[in-house]
Amino acid sequence: MSFELISPNTLRDALDLLDVDDPSIRPFSGGTALRLMMKSGVFSPSKLVVLRGIPDLSGIEISDDGSLTIGALSTLAEVETSALVARQVPVLAGALKHLSNRRVRNVARIGGAIAHGDPHMDLPPLLSALNAEVIVESRNGRRHIAVEDLVIGYYETLLEPDELIVALRIPAQDDWHSAYRKVTARSADDWPALGVATSISHEGKEIRDIRLVVGAATERPTRLDISEGVLRSEGVAGLPRAVEAAMESVEVMDDSHGSATWKKALLGVELRRSVEEILGRNA
Amino acid sequence: MGDKTMTTTEVGRSLPRLEARQKVTGRANYTHNLKLPGMVHAKVFRSTVPHGKILSIDTAEAASYPGVAAVVTGKDILDVVPEPYYGPAFHDQPILALNKVRYVGEPVAVVLADDPRIAAEAVELIDAVYEELPAVYDETEAMTSDAVVHDELKPAGTFPDLKHLNGRKDTNIALDFHLKQGHADAAFASAAHVFAHSFQTQQTMHTPMEPIISLAEPSGDRLIIHTASQSPSFVRSEVARLLGWSENRVQVKVGHLGGGFGAKLYIKLEALVAALALLCRRPVRLSLSMEEQFYTISKHASTFHIKSAVDKDGRITARKCEVLWNGGAYADIGPRVTQKSGFTATGPYDIAAADIDSYALYTNRPPAGALRGFGIPQLVWAYESHTDLIARELGMDPVEFRRRNILKDGRPHVTGTVMKDAAIDAVLETLAERMRWSEPFDRGEGTVKRGRGVAIGFKACVSPTTSVATVTVAADGSVTLHHATVDMGQGSDTAMAQIVAEVLGVRTEEIRVVDPDTDVTPYDMATLGSRSTFHMGNAVRKAAEHARTQLDDMAKSLGMAETAAGRVKEVFRRTYGMQAGTVVGVGTYIPEYVSPNEDGLSDNVTPFWMIGGTGVEVEVDTETGRTKLLKMVNAADLGTALNPRIVETQLSGAAIMQLGFTVSEEMILDGGQVTNASLADYKIPGIKDIPPVIENCIVDAHTETGPFGAKGVGESATFGVSPAVAEAIQDACGVRLTRLPMTAEAIFHALHGDKK
Amino acid sequence: MTKKPIKFVLNGREVQAFVSPDDSVVDLLRELDHFGARESCGQGLCGCCTVLIDGVSVTGCLELALLLDGKRINTVEGLDADGQLSAVQQAFIDTGAFQCGFCTPGFILMIEQLLDENPDPTDDEARDYLSGNLCRCAAYPEILSAVRNAAMKRKTAQGADA
Repeated sequence: MSFELISPNTLRDALDLLDVDDPSIRPFSGGTALRLMMKSGVFSPSKLVVLRGIPDLSGIEISDDGSLTIGALSTLAEVETSALVARQVPVLAGALKHLSNRRVRNVARIGGAIAHGDPHMDLPPLLSALNAEVIVESRNGRRHIAVEDLVIGYYETLLEPDELIVALRIPAQDDWHSAYRKVTARSADDWPALGVATSISHEGKEIRDIRLVVGAATERPTRLDISEGVLRSEGVAGLPRAVEAAMESVEVMDDSHGSATWKKALLGVELRRSVEEILGRNA
Repeated sequence: MGDKTMTTTEVGRSLPRLEARQKVTGRANYTHNLKLPGMVHAKVFRSTVPHGKILSIDTAEAASYPGVAAVVTGKDILDVVPEPYYGPAFHDQPILALNKVRYVGEPVAVVLADDPRIAAEAVELIDAVYEELPAVYDETEAMTSDAVVHDELKPAGTFPDLKHLNGRKDTNIALDFHLKQGHADAAFASAAHVFAHSFQTQQTMHTPMEPIISLAEPSGDRLIIHTASQSPSFVRSEVARLLGWSENRVQVKVGHLGGGFGAKLYIKLEALVAALALLCRRPVRLSLSMEEQFYTISKHASTFHIKSAVDKDGRITARKCEVLWNGGAYADIGPRVTQKSGFTATGPYDIAAADIDSYALYTNRPPAGALRGFGIPQLVWAYESHTDLIARELGMDPVEFRRRNILKDGRPHVTGTVMKDAAIDAVLETLAERMRWSEPFDRGEGTVKRGRGVAIGFKACVSPTTSVATVTVAADGSVTLHHATVDMGQGSDTAMAQIVAEVLGVRTEEIRVVDPDTDVTPYDMATLGSRSTFHMGNAVRKAAEHARTQLDDMAKSLGMAETAAGRVKEVFRRTYGMQAGTVVGVGTYIPEYVSPNEDGLSDNVTPFWMIGGTGVEVEVDTETGRTKLLKMVNAADLGTALNPRIVETQLSGAAIMQLGFTVSEEMILDGGQVTNASLADYKIPGIKDIPPVIENCIVDAHTETGPFGAKGVGESATFGVSPAVAEAIQDACGVRLTRLPMTAEAIFHALHGDKK
Repeated sequence: MTKKPIKFVLNGREVQAFVSPDDSVVDLLRELDHFGARESCGQGLCGCCTVLIDGVSVTGCLELALLLDGKRINTVEGLDADGQLSAVQQAFIDTGAFQCGFCTPGFILMIEQLLDENPDPTDDEARDYLSGNLCRCAAYPEILSAVRNAAMKRKTAQGADA
């Protein structure tokens, strides 16, 4: 049951090692999730392609348009403590502080964290609400995928086995303000039972546009389209209706964190609170 | 001993643990660290069915896997242990399953290999076929179920307090304990009020951070067992019994434990590694994973039906208790839990008449044993919740209602034992004062409500049990203590050394405490049930006094002085003509005790009482059920503290552990399979889960029969936590929960209607 | 299982070892008779296996030993290399911040890191930073005292140096 560990020095070499038809060859960056799967016997790789030694895939840059580009091999801790991130997307820095624990954040890479597709994660819903996209590369070229579209099911993403996320791009937030509300059910350091990410473009209490994404309680991060529509057309007065619509429309999972009934109620409460928090904070 | 007014210099000093430096540098000697030359690693193959006949075990593929040294099944064990059943109460547990399996996770076979990963890989290749039998999981169902876990029961006869156990057939009741005091029925018939409630607790696990581990090493015609055990003396005698050897052929060595809490008592892996080492003639190491601990030992789930008769003045006149203990597939020490805890089920109240029925039940769950309180936290949860509910129905303040009924020194407990050195009222009053109970309380605003609660409990100590210690004084005056109390973090090495230092007039830090090693440390019943400070403390004190007497006699015979204090080296030099000789002081302690009669009554049922209580303030988010503890006050009567700072850490540590059992922890079972056997899904309290304010109060007390006035403390702060939280939740938002754990979701459903 | 040679610096000392692909850092440290980092939960949640790799705290039971090649690793055993306990270690003793001690090295290494990054953390910051370390003896209140105590000790020492 042994496997081979290969550490390519260039992105090109790494991509050459991956094989679209062989999922037992896996890219390995932080490895925090993969190692758990290996230790529990859920996953036995034939080859791990270690990406850590590839230069130019880390670092955080700001473009002229105010968007941030975060290299896929940046650790979560690097993102968490980045002054640029704190200034441009404080909600991300804040959410990272409470994601898993510091040792995991020291090792886990942002690309891997997004590619994993685990529903009980904080970043996919938050990055979706921030309208972020990932830049993905394979031997056949590059493509851009909205984080919102990336995760298509329970541990399922649009990524092919021979593709790597090379960067994350978060657009300038301008007059968008965001919140991420996370509920843990069994202990403070638990994985989220529910995550609600909210971004609002607003002036005072007047909502111009809004993005609402729920994660953890659902099979995949889910956009709350109907609730968004209500808030866009009715403004904050529509909040009770938006909350109701969210609770009615979203398919919430029963799992070890709690029943769907409870988590649906939590969704309603946290959604309302997050909208109120943003509008109140920036009033 | 009556030394209440005596001034002490070593006892009562808050010095750091003697092994502090080793612990902060990562060099403490845990069994976990041990590597033996030529050792093989064992990995256990476990049952996948909750109850079934073993039809076949195919080990061929595993045995031929490269790197595997051997594969062993229950039948192979018979070669070295013809009667391979062990247990402290019943000889009911096979070293490896024989003929039948009784729970999911039961050890069925073992692979041995030089590399632990090879062993783990080979285990996956074993294939066992079972004929499934009907299973029973619930303690109430087990009372009447047709599914019977054990065909026949063989009492162990090891411990005097369990000598009344009977062999039984066709039942899941391992032991039933009954207490009958006064005329409860008559009191109920004439009562002004009758209140009845039922409460439940869930199955939980100790999760010591150092997972359970044992190694066995053949040595000539002897066997050395290195084990993270709380009971080295028991391990020695039980392994010797299984092998048919004399005890001195089995040597049991224990280092510091990375936590125990009752998980590492009696036999856990020791019989298995002993048999494996004899079979393969090599040292064998078996270290469980965190997951495997959940298949090894747990805390009893329970159901408690409690009923009280109360007169028009709010005095409890009679109480009836029926307690069902879910012991899982093997009794372990469940019968003691059933009895020892059973007789305190009426609570620390002055009640003239009582009927108690307490049942230890077998089910097809992982076995349950002792966990920090021997069943007491389950009982206090029920009787204190019941107490608060009565106070509410009577419209009385809950503290006032307790005051009116509290059991005071000099009054008889329902067993008939007259209370002594039991500061129950002082614990209650301390809590009331520190909680500012009589002052106005901020009840929160909007949808976030605040509430508070207090609860108290008590515990008798397991009895009669024996501790033996020796104190050796070398010719240079340096002192060594040999005793088999296991330091698993409670600081016993330090406390015992303080006693020796006090008696001999030396500095505690200069005393060498020898790790438990049955070749050199004398017998001790076990480190459990908060018995060590009292029992071993008394033995150690006697041993030190014995040494001092011998030294004084030597000084006197030399015509030096009445006492050798300060001149020990000179006494030796002059006695032996050079720096030579040794003085050995021996101390043995066994308290007086009267076994309960057929009505469960005894006028001396415990050597001492432990008293503990907790008060909490909570904040409930009524929209989500999420609850925050804002403040926790723990108070205990532990006699006179030998080391106040270590004791305070014990108090908050016990209370926080119980907080986990109160709001979060639960072993979830699906068809007998534990589905959350990991710290990823079984969440124990972390640093962000504890209340921002925790106060620990040692009430002013003294135990006349204890060493320097001390008694046990390790469990006391667990008692009141769960019911105090339940009361505080009801105080905040009006709903009462009667089953643990009280999760946010449970509170939410209580507030907003049932799920689905 | 093909073992590969690696070279790394352990507590300031250069070390060579042969490791298998699935050896964890803790497995390797055990081979080297370093027991201060120890596996408990096996899932990166309890922090008993904490080590510092190139100056950053890492979960030793998950990190692959092969990846240590060319790196610096520090364990609790290196903190008193000069015979002196570190301020954090001494603070643990002074405040009684442990009972069984099994989780203690992990907490100590995390707090060393915390104080390097943030010499004067609030209790809340300390709680956030230490949320991935578990203590079943629940010495948490004392551990928070130890953080405050160690921060003070470090400041005093710095003042003395200046």
